[in-house]
Amino acid sequence: MSTKRKINHDDKGLIFNIQKFSLNDGPGIRTVVFFKGCPLKCAWCANPESQARRPEKMYDEAKGCQIMVGEYRTVAEIMDVIMQDYDFYEESGGGVTLSGGEVLFQAPFAIKLAQAIKEKGIHLACETTGYTKPETFNEFYPYMDLIYFDCKQWSPLLHRQGTGGTNEMILKNMQTVIDSGKKYCIRIPVIPGFNYTDNDAQHFGELFGKMGVKRVELLPFHQFGLKKYADLGREYQMKDVAQLHSEDLLNYQKILQDAGITAQINGW
Amino acid sequence: MVMTKVAPKKTVGNFGKLTAKMQRYREEIFDAKPYVDPERALLTTEAYQQYQDQQVDILRARVLEHILQKMTIFIEKDTLLVGNQAQHNRWAPVFPEYSMNWVIDELDTFEKRSGDVFYITDEAKEQLRKIAPFWQHNTLEDRGYAAFPEKSRLFYDLGLIGADGNITSGDGHIAVNYETVIKYGLVSYEKRIKEQMDQLDLTDINQQKQLYFYQAGLIVIKAVHDFADRYAQLAEKEAADATDQQRKDELLEIARIMRKVPYQPADSFYEAIQAVWFVHLILQIESNGHSVSYGRLDQYLNSFYENDVQAGKITAEKATELLTNLCMKTLTINKVRSWAHTEFSAGSPLYQNITIGGQTKDGKDAVNPMSYLILTAIAQAHLPQPNLTVRYHHGLSDHFMRQCVEVIKEGLGMPAFNNDEVIIPSFIARGVKKEDAYNYSAIGCVETAVPGKWGYRCTGMSFINFPRTLLIVMNGGRDPESGKQLLPNYGHFTEMKSYDELFTAWDQSLREITRQSVIIENTCDLALEQNYPDILCSVLTEDCIGRGKTIKEGGTIYDFISGLQVGIANLADSLAAIKKLVFEEKKITQQELWQALTDNFQGPGQEKLRQMLVNDAPKYGNDNDEVDQLIVQAYEPYIDEISKYKNTRYGRGPIGGTRYAGTSSISANVGQGHSTLATPDGRFARTPLSEGCSPSHSMDTDGPTAVFKSVSKLNTKAITGGVLLNQKMSPQLLRSPANCEKLVLLLRTFFNRLHGYHVQYNVVDRKTLVDAQEHPDKH
Repeated sequence: MSTKRKINHDDKGLIFNIQKFSLNDGPGIRTVVFFKGCPLKCAWCANPESQARRPEKMYDEAKGCQIMVGEYRTVAEIMDVIMQDYDFYEESGGGVTLSGGEVLFQAPFAIKLAQAIKEKGIHLACETTGYTKPETFNEFYPYMDLIYFDCKQWSPLLHRQGTGGTNEMILKNMQTVIDSGKKYCIRIPVIPGFNYTDNDAQHFGELFGKMGVKRVELLPFHQFGLKKYADLGREYQMKDVAQLHSEDLLNYQKILQDAGITAQINGW
Repeated sequence: MVMTKVAPKKTVGNFGKLTAKMQRYREEIFDAKPYVDPERALLTTEAYQQYQDQQVDILRARVLEHILQKMTIFIEKDTLLVGNQAQHNRWAPVFPEYSMNWVIDELDTFEKRSGDVFYITDEAKEQLRKIAPFWQHNTLEDRGYAAFPEKSRLFYDLGLIGADGNITSGDGHIAVNYETVIKYGLVSYEKRIKEQMDQLDLTDINQQKQLYFYQAGLIVIKAVHDFADRYAQLAEKEAADATDQQRKDELLEIARIMRKVPYQPADSFYEAIQAVWFVHLILQIESNGHSVSYGRLDQYLNSFYENDVQAGKITAEKATELLTNLCMKTLTINKVRSWAHTEFSAGSPLYQNITIGGQTKDGKDAVNPMSYLILTAIAQAHLPQPNLTVRYHHGLSDHFMRQCVEVIKEGLGMPAFNNDEVIIPSFIARGVKKEDAYNYSAIGCVETAVPGKWGYRCTGMSFINFPRTLLIVMNGGRDPESGKQLLPNYGHFTEMKSYDELFTAWDQSLREITRQSVIIENTCDLALEQNYPDILCSVLTEDCIGRGKTIKEGGTIYDFISGLQVGIANLADSLAAIKKLVFEEKKITQQELWQALTDNFQGPGQEKLRQMLVNDAPKYGNDNDEVDQLIVQAYEPYIDEISKYKNTRYGRGPIGGTRYAGTSSISANVGQGHSTLATPDGRFARTPLSEGCSPSHSMDTDGPTAVFKSVSKLNTKAITGGVLLNQKMSPQLLRSPANCEKLVLLLRTFFNRLHGYHVQYNVVDRKTLVDAQEHPDKH
């Protein structure tokens, strides 16, 4: 690693994609800004190119060659792209979603970008693991109109085993959002071998009951990321695990519902 | 928690199934093999031989009369509507008066075509060969060729300007006034013609000419009336033979209706829809011009439907059955084109359009119960024809939009949307009265006109190949393929100093080609006017009767026309590659590029150069001003130049009499691609050009919002002839209702904010798409 790259510019963010007309990331027509780099390391991650906090090479099938994924970009550069679809946000009740990677892994930059977006009056959402220090989180979340929160595990220990970090900060930040009155949506990626047992569902039910969560979304495990691991030349531990379908989650859903939590299955 | 503006409460989809009768009828039509049918050609020849001493209006009226008296008629066992175009369904009649040479030349190859195959019997070949001598030097095509100024002919012969449809077919591209036909009957036209005739002063030669038109009008109205009577007699005869009581009753009802309409006014929905079909059919026996359209079917049928519902005479199910019957009848119409012309209109389409939705005269939402039933009928019938267009406006309800999306999901590429928010103001600015502008309809696919008041070909004049024009400009005005000097020499590309120099040469050259296209179009129009007036079509279009003139003589209220400019995206991407990679970044030399184009990128190192052209220059369709503004600028000389030239009806009655731009290339992008060498956007020689104003194939990498942004930068207000945008969408994407709602929001933004003109969605999965590319004949 060159020292040049280590001098990390707070005025630039490492972004691996800006996707317009993204369909599953909030209301209306939205542009999603994907931050590169994540403090967690989930074995099932469907966007493995989002994990490393540095630009990296990846094979591009359409072009038939290696391309660099991840680019340092300024707020102004990103805003130029965002503003191209302003008419669509306004007409559709849409806006921008900050996603990742983990947006909070580049919190100072994310906050600057969020400020710029809110100055234009654009609806702003984020998709986060919530894995950051509460003081950082508290500085960030007030800019959000809607927060998608990934809740991967109820157990701190299992969380660390599966993702490399415990869920204490995550749950604290989640509680902050719940208490704040902000709009939020909690999503559980349901992963075989990690959180797919009836026991997991029961514990989630209890946890959410305590935290005051009324409704969650269940995202069945899928294999859309499979090819990306090969393109990155990386090993994929979950490659032989069967995908889950909506109907595989019916019992899981029922357990949550019995605990008083509305659970919606968002099949792929 | 997720909020959107769209919250349809009523159900969507659930279109239901065809009735058993219509299901059988559909199968019968689908099983029918397309044959070349000589019957009309034989009857036409007889009539021409018998009446060639008559004034042309009378001659043309007698030809139609003779055909309608003698042609084979039949009533299929499962139809409720009657009227057939040829000896069997899907057979394509021959129209020898427009062109006969290619028919004879291709007699033995119709069955061997790679697409749009037609069968033909040995007897039919014999019959057609026998009449061929009569038509030598006696067709529209012969007369057009004879009349072309020499230089203009060269542009046509080399295919730089395509006008095959204009010189081998009738005009079409029109919707007549069906509302008057069903409300007042043909008898009302007859009465008006007689009144006009009574006032003529025959010492005035112009009024004497009008006399012939009026006489011709009376001949065709009687001919239509008698033709309807033939069906009434046939239905009665079949009823007498029928063993099944229900069918017997149906046939007797058909007989009753055919004794009444379209001559008398219709009094019920059934009568109205039969009258519309019958007239629509006869217009396509009179002439083989395609894009003969129904206009605003929901607007003129709805009152008949609602009256019948109130009187307890009809149910929604029954009306839907009749509408599906109309759709299937529409599909029975067929047209055989020359192989050269087929490339411009692949899939033997007739572009018979039905328009629904839009606004009333006073700007209110015009969607009515009939609009919904038509959507249902289109979904149930599931046919490639008719074409359905929905007129969008900002007050169109979310529920209706969602229902449209449900039809789009059927994968038929319809409904297409046209945008009131841009088309109406654009018409008003051109002098169309407000009430008429609010009553426009789509004609064919994307183009628009006021039904019943507008002449032929609001689009559908000549095709100009933009990318090939660029190559000729780069080659010092000389066509690189034929070596012919077509345009002034502004210097060879390899010696140009700057992009600006190239652009100036482009500007001047495009203006010259535009002028040549005007000459070619006027030549065709002159020959059509002098020899091929469509009397029935003229009688049914205002104000031909008032003026005593055919449409081609200036009988209509409005008469604006447009040609089609092909390869918009190829031109954009080519200019961007030249500007950026050659002149700005100097990554490619002028010599290298020109050599690579000449070699079709087959020379050493040229594939790498081609990759640079494809990957390193910006592409139209990604909301990138760098390239989008280049096409806006490059289109402007055409838009400016074409507006200077009048059509042949200017000053003869119609409002307008002028021309404007249009981009609905239909499949001409394939035909004109065949004659185009490699282009600086990295496109290989002879491959298809881009379609309409859509981005080049897979060059739009930034999603649908970016495509809409790019397209909306075009000078849409000036391109009144239509800005055609085809978008593809995967069926998986539209599986979720939430995504369907997002599609509605996407469309609303394109139309409300960006003032787009048209969009059409082809919902196909990748597998079907690849299969269609490999086996085009199957699709």
